Amino acid sequence: MSDPTDHDQPAQPQRRRALRIGAAGAVAVVSIRPAMAQAYGSVLTCEIPVPDPGQAGSYIDPSGKVVPAGTRGAYAPPGRPLKGEDIRRALASGGNLPGVDYERSRAYLKYVQNLRSGTTGFTCFASLQMPRR
Amino acid sequence: MMDATRYRAPQASDLSMVDLDELVAIFHRASGITHLVASPVPELLIALSGRWLTLDGIEQEFELVDGNRAGLASIMDELVAAGLIERRA
Repeated sequence: MSDPTDHDQPAQPQRRRALRIGAAGAVAVVSIRPAMAQAYGSVLTCEIPVPDPGQAGSYIDPSGKVVPAGTRGAYAPPGRPLKGEDIRRALASGGNLPGVDYERSRAYLKYVQNLRSGTTGFTCFASLQMPRR
Repeated sequence: MMDATRYRAPQASDLSMVDLDELVAIFHRASGITHLVASPVPELLIALSGRWLTLDGIEQEFELVDGNRAGLASIMDELVAAGLIERRA
């Protein structure tokens, strides 16, 4: 063959095969973009602020309710939003959130479980509930 | 008319092809996009796998049936737009 950069040419030229071109203007390719793959990625990377930004600084009591800062028996909020993957793992295994002791983890996780549709972090929490293979 | 435009498809290892009766599903690992195609697209992707060919080169390998050079060029344009084929002038 004419192109000297081709390495994979068969030594003997083969008989030409038929290539059916078909109707002009027909669509040859339908592409399916990976929307689901992106949604899957967001499950691993989404975060839930505790409590929601409108109540930043408030404490979380052992039942997961948001209470005024300094309330006796309640816990100061985590210093940063909780990661979806950490929450998923703690809920699935019954273990603690990373770097958080047992009682405090229970309170934060109850807060997350109490989230309702429309509240900050609910979409992330809902995505954690999707069955995973 | 001499046309030096060359085309190349990804290496076979960069594509996963699954036959679905008349159609072929092609998963392109680099983009994460799945493409549904029909003949002659799979044949072209295999022929161009990892090597540059001009339209003349393609016609040396294949006899165009039920269509002509213009039809082949429009299929190649569509494959370029889909990201399944590279084009180099």
